[in-house]
Amino acid sequence: MSSLALENYLIVGALLFVLGMIGFLTRRNMIIMFLSAELMLQGVSINLLAFSRFRGHLGGQALVMFILTVAACEAAIALAMILVLYRSRRTLDVSVWQDLREPTVDPILDPEPDLPIAPAPMPKLTPSGVEPKQPHETSHV
Amino acid sequence: MFDDPQSYLWLIPFLPLLGSAIIAVFGKKFLRGWSHVPCIVGAVAACGLSVLAMTAVQSGHDNVVWRSLTWFQAGDVDVKLSLRLDALTAVMLVTVTFIGSWIAIYASSYMHGDPGYHRFFAAVSLFLASMTGLVLANNFIVLYACWEGVGLCSYLLVGFWFAKPSAAAAARKAFLVTRLGDIGLFLGILILWSISGYSLEYDVVFRLAAAPEHRDLLAWACVFLFLGAVGKSAQFPLHVWLPDAMEGPSPVSALIHAATMVTAGVYLVARCTPLFQLVPDVQAYVAVTGAFTALLAGTIALTQTDLKRVLAYSTVSQLGYMFLALGSGLMYKNLAAYAVAAAIFHLVTHAFFKALLFLGAGSVMHAMGDVIDMRRFSGLRKVLPTTHWTFLIGSAALAGFPLLSGFWSKDEILAVVHGASSDNPHAAIYFFCFLAAMVTAGMTAFYTFRAYFMTFWGPEKIPQEAYSHHHGHADHDDHAHDHHGHGHGNHHAAPTHASAEPAKSHFESGEVMLWPLRVLAVGALLVGIVLGPTHLFFDFLQNHWMKTSVGFVDPKVTLEVHHNIPIMVGSVLFGLAGIGLAYLAYVKRPSLAAELKNSAKFLYHWSLNKFYLDELFYALFVQPLAGLAQMLRMVDHYLVDGLVDAVAQIPVVFARAARPIQNGLVQFYAVLMALGLAGLLIAILLR
Repeated sequence: MSSLALENYLIVGALLFVLGMIGFLTRRNMIIMFLSAELMLQGVSINLLAFSRFRGHLGGQALVMFILTVAACEAAIALAMILVLYRSRRTLDVSVWQDLREPTVDPILDPEPDLPIAPAPMPKLTPSGVEPKQPHETSHV
Repeated sequence: MFDDPQSYLWLIPFLPLLGSAIIAVFGKKFLRGWSHVPCIVGAVAACGLSVLAMTAVQSGHDNVVWRSLTWFQAGDVDVKLSLRLDALTAVMLVTVTFIGSWIAIYASSYMHGDPGYHRFFAAVSLFLASMTGLVLANNFIVLYACWEGVGLCSYLLVGFWFAKPSAAAAARKAFLVTRLGDIGLFLGILILWSISGYSLEYDVVFRLAAAPEHRDLLAWACVFLFLGAVGKSAQFPLHVWLPDAMEGPSPVSALIHAATMVTAGVYLVARCTPLFQLVPDVQAYVAVTGAFTALLAGTIALTQTDLKRVLAYSTVSQLGYMFLALGSGLMYKNLAAYAVAAAIFHLVTHAFFKALLFLGAGSVMHAMGDVIDMRRFSGLRKVLPTTHWTFLIGSAALAGFPLLSGFWSKDEILAVVHGASSDNPHAAIYFFCFLAAMVTAGMTAFYTFRAYFMTFWGPEKIPQEAYSHHHGHADHDDHAHDHHGHGHGNHHAAPTHASAEPAKSHFESGEVMLWPLRVLAVGALLVGIVLGPTHLFFDFLQNHWMKTSVGFVDPKVTLEVHHNIPIMVGSVLFGLAGIGLAYLAYVKRPSLAAELKNSAKFLYHWSLNKFYLDELFYALFVQPLAGLAQMLRMVDHYLVDGLVDAVAQIPVVFARAARPIQNGLVQFYAVLMALGLAGLLIAILLR
């Protein structure tokens, strides 16, 4: 069981944390940012679990239980808030909310132009309703 | 339970206090037109207990001290909520609660329909509680607390119609002027406290402060105590608040002038007689102040045209008499006991007839549609028959008409002052005081009967307000009736409200207001002759207060009642001359009044304008203080506020530097957090 050294677990945890942090700092889509934050939490959890396992101390596992619980609550609240924010501006881009800055500070504009968004194709609906009358097929055989 | 006064003594102030609390809590929502009930019940119950206490004193419980509660304790100071009962207290209690009860009954009709009905009775009840507490107190701190309670209630009641600017100003004036005196009282108490080994109980103070080595400090203490009395009992120069206090409703005037408030100062000096009689110089000062005030107020009252103001100045003048008597209680001549008894006797008789006069003036005012200027009505003796004869009795008693109550008590005072005006270092002073008192007696008779004749004699004249007032009042009553159902049976029986009735008597007040007048009139007739020449009052005070109290220097000397016949005749002649002059000038030959006015224009104007004392005080004290306040306001506005504002600018400067980092980008905040955490970690690691 303890064939793998502690460092391996810590490296995985650190990688997860760093990936999450990079995702959080570079993406502007609120849902992606939220997922990145979850990733950071999981990196920390692995870290805690590894120490807990190798030191034979249950404190780390208890903390992870807490992290799971908190993450669940946080998911509920964060998604609800994202929904509200989306409804008020019709976009998930977090940078539109920078008008919450101090009134005297200039806004920071993205120099890259937005990619043209292809209009979503019209949905294809399965037919429904009363089937129109068809000429009765008769066999000519 | 009623054998021992200890068991019910505390109830005497407590019952009115409870009544006040009940009215204050439930009055506005539930009691409304019934708000007078707790007040009257409390006052009458307190009166019954006071009479019971008086009989207990008579039967030997004459130095009862009830001390079951500790109020506060700090180091050597141990202040108990202790009460004492002796003859002086019993007399004051019975007077205060008896008069107060009748005034409350009168007010239940007088104030009927006022939107502040419950507020009025809550304050009246609290007033009675404070005053009974004041006379029952057994130490100076409880006395001081009740003293301030009385001041507070006077403020509330004088400013009862606070929406009227003049009433609000009068209330403020009453409060501030008496507060000047209260400072004196407090300083006096502090001096007594320091020279009596840090005790405040009367007995201890009277015993220890009498030590000869404290005589100088004791003199100062007495001066300061007297200053408190000067403020509360409206003596010169702090008398200016009392006439303005007429802005309150008439029952309040009666309460303040007769039963409560102004008698507090007289009571205080009487209670501290064991101290005052040790310092004859201060006593002379008390006597001179009293005599001067009596003369001054009497002179002012000669020309006032407002019926209640005449009575107010007469109160000031009569209080001057009481202080004159108290100041004449010299030890040399074994006068102390007699002088104090005379002052308290005058206090009691004065309470009866002055309450009667004020309630009578209130009845006139009620009938005349709140007009109180005597030039606007006259000849009311047919219109207000009951008010007329009760007012006549009150006036005669005040004027010292032979055999009425004022005659006996005033005569005692004159005899005391005359007794003091020989064989002592201040004899000359007392002789002038005696002359002033004699002249004042004549003036008292004149101005009292001037007011009486102007109001009730001459051609019948009723101001227009009286008619409209009655009309409005009746309307209001019908309205109230709809709301309260059968609640006011006795008020409606009163002819006052039957506005359709054409008879003249419909101006007369209702029975609820007339019965207190009748009862007090009987009191004004009989109190003097029952208690004075029979020595009942003097023996009671002497046997159950002076002999049993600590510190009276000459308690064993029997009171030889100085029925000094020449003085008696002299004062009666002065009084009758005053009445006759008033009759001549205001009934027989009305032109005489105008001639007198013209022949002494200068004096007339000085008297009419109260010797310009208000203006003098305004220029001497109010304006410099207002200027000082304005200056301090400038200092506050520019210096203090400026400093505070300057300090407040410092965080603003720092905030301006930190503002750019609030740029609204979530990622930027996250980077800052990460960098900050990294910096912290590096700092910890490299440490």
